[in-house]
Amino acid sequence: MDNGATMHLAVSLFAGTADPSPELEFSHLAGLVQKAEAAGLDMVLLADSAPAAGGDTPNQQMPFEATTLLAALATVTSKIGLVAAASTIAHQPYNLARRFASLDIISHGRAGWSATMAQSPREAANFSRPEGFSDADFRRRTEEYIGIVRGLWQGWDADALLFDKSGGRFHNPEKMHTLDHKGEFFSVRGPLNVARSPQDTPVLVLSGLSVSDLDIAVRTADVILLDDEPNEGAKASYDDLKRRILACGREPDAVKVLTNIAPGTAGKLAAFADGLAEKFQSESCDGFNVQLPTQRSALDAFADLVVPELRRLGLFRENYRGTTLRSHLGPAGGGEQ
Amino acid sequence: MTAQMKLGAFLWATGHHIAAWRHPKAHVTAGIDIDHYIQLARTAEAAKFDMIFCEDAAGLREANVEIASQTSRSIGFEPISLLSALAAQTSRIGLVSTASTSYNEPYGLARTFLSLDHLSGGRAGWNLVTSASPIEAANFGATGLKPHADRYERAREFAEVVTGLWRGKASGHDGQSFSVRDPLDLPRSPQGAPVMVQAGASDVGRNLAARTADVVFTAAQTFEEAKAFYDDLKGRMAAYGREPDDIKIMPGVSPVVAETEAEAREKHEELQALIPDDVGVALLSSYLSISDLGRYPIDGPLPELPESEGMKSRQALVVEQSRRDGLSIRQLARHFAGARGHWRIVGTAAQVADELQARFEGGAADGFNVMPAYFPGELDAFATLVVPELQRRGLFRRDYEGRTLRDHLGLKRPA
Ligand SMILES: Cc1cc2nc3c(=O)[nH]c(=O)nc-3n(C[C@H](O)[C@H](O)[C@H](O)COP(=O)(O)O)c2cc1C
Repeated sequence: MDNGATMHLAVSLFAGTADPSPELEFSHLAGLVQKAEAAGLDMVLLADSAPAAGGDTPNQQMPFEATTLLAALATVTSKIGLVAAASTIAHQPYNLARRFASLDIISHGRAGWSATMAQSPREAANFSRPEGFSDADFRRRTEEYIGIVRGLWQGWDADALLFDKSGGRFHNPEKMHTLDHKGEFFSVRGPLNVARSPQDTPVLVLSGLSVSDLDIAVRTADVILLDDEPNEGAKASYDDLKRRILACGREPDAVKVLTNIAPGTAGKLAAFADGLAEKFQSESCDGFNVQLPTQRSALDAFADLVVPELRRLGLFRENYRGTTLRSHLGPAGGGEQ
Repeated sequence: MTAQMKLGAFLWATGHHIAAWRHPKAHVTAGIDIDHYIQLARTAEAAKFDMIFCEDAAGLREANVEIASQTSRSIGFEPISLLSALAAQTSRIGLVSTASTSYNEPYGLARTFLSLDHLSGGRAGWNLVTSASPIEAANFGATGLKPHADRYERAREFAEVVTGLWRGKASGHDGQSFSVRDPLDLPRSPQGAPVMVQAGASDVGRNLAARTADVVFTAAQTFEEAKAFYDDLKGRMAAYGREPDDIKIMPGVSPVVAETEAEAREKHEELQALIPDDVGVALLSSYLSISDLGRYPIDGPLPELPESEGMKSRQALVVEQSRRDGLSIRQLARHFAGARGHWRIVGTAAQVADELQARFEGGAADGFNVMPAYFPGELDAFATLVVPELQRRGLFRRDYEGRTLRDHLGLKRPA
């Protein structure tokens, strides 16, 4: 468990808000993320917009796809973790693993992949799967997919690159490993043609979990996002997850469980901070994913009013402890280079 | 003003020469160093290059691990994330990435390039390739490399869907390889649509380019080859209702340039001396799409070869060169290790400029994709020695004419 002092804080910038704000230029988004970094938050979650479920009009609130946006944001920030959503339908596992390994090097170890276990009702129809997937198939496919991506991320040992000009050896062939995966849905040889991630592997964030997804999630995730629920329910879900994490042989603290939460109006921010404090102190979560609209004022209010209050209460750290996303998530999070 | 040539800066980790990474001045950690790429991009932008160009392969370049470990090509940045990062660190230069039609879906790829276009304010381009390597195929299923014609048929449909999505086409597509229901969920491109680049030079490849490409990247060794390709491709465009000027043909060129010719030759020899024989032969084998070239005597001639299902155009180019110059396997291997079948010029800035001018004015190229032998040194050399010489001759711009990649290339904004 945490020592009780460090709550983990993420902000999710476009979490499905029907935000009518017009000019979502890169410079505006860069300003938001820089502000979140100045406030010392662990990470920003970049949702990936998709056609509105069931609707016929495309959702045009965001001119960017999340992984490309992450790459650009990585060059204008230096500490904050950057987690992009990317769907298992829209990308082949080899391509997705490669994109995120590359993003992790670009960001010097601050990248994460946010994968949802929930099927988007409309997505498959744009990816040559008009018939879609049954829930059971989708779940088995997602589990296989995540296993491949994590396996590919580990294809190069940390000391594989030699850069030996005079000896003529660029890398040590024994430290590069093929995956040779042959499964129900995919067959992937590997290895990746991107070097090992600066934080060993990019951070894996899972959300949209149903009860039957929990075992996959506790085996593989670094961060789990749960929807907010009333107190006793939240505590029970949290305890259940931590038990499952232990049962599969991992430290309970190796997986951070964050509750998705959306602040109400600005006037109620003090109460909002108290609410977060209470949930955290009752050990119902390891922190929060605060879902904010993309207006600058919403982030400013959170960063300037709520975060300092959490610090006053001794619940949130004063500064970043390191420069990688794993270092923000805590020592149990792994690689710190 | 007479027409000016277009220039791409083809970035590739440590350099285009296979032994570049071993050169004392090459930046050996290029494949894991984003700051190195930011520096290269700024150099190219300051020199007013039209675009940065990145190749791609969704897999290792070389199957044999012993050979692979003697090159720097097994690791590097995934180019779309690389160019997205560079978009935030540059303001004018075009950003073109290769991506395969064989291992992507059109909706996702169209969306990703459109996002890069928005991030860069209208500077994105997609280099369409059909992926000729069995190593890549093994990362996307158990069935192996699909036949050349099938890959191109998929590519044709892929390009049609992507260009439709970029133009805001609303209705669904239900075709042979793909079905897509919705329009894209991103606003229209700042330049109308990202630029379509294509590399691939077989007969079907040329037809696809004549139909859809804005820029064609190609490899040609001699003036005659380059001219024949140029005339052939431009000649095919009318059949698709297009004007010859709607496509810019930009062959690759790998200059090794220095203040004096002797210095340039010395620099080139220095690189050639760093190529291990087995690495050179393996590279040659891959261009010939055969696996066992190593069992033929290295100082003997090239054997007769079966027709390739991989890169038909590159195989033909190698065979042609071996017959023309009577080269042994070793000589061919060393030759192709320098620039992978692209044109090489070794000399002073004036000599390089003379050669480029001759192909440009002779109607064999609209510009060139410049492939520096090693980085950063040879890009710097081109930018500081050759570009000013071309500018003095009125052959290259002194400043950007506009903001978008289409502006630089003088391409029409699509309807
Ligand atoms: C100049 C040139 C550059 C190419 N660059 C790439 C590349 O970066 N990645 C790739 O997978 N294929 C690349 N290709 C391969 C082509 O996409 C295609 O698969 C191959 O050339 C076979 O088609 P062809 O016979 O029509 O040339 C390139 C081909 C040419 C001619």
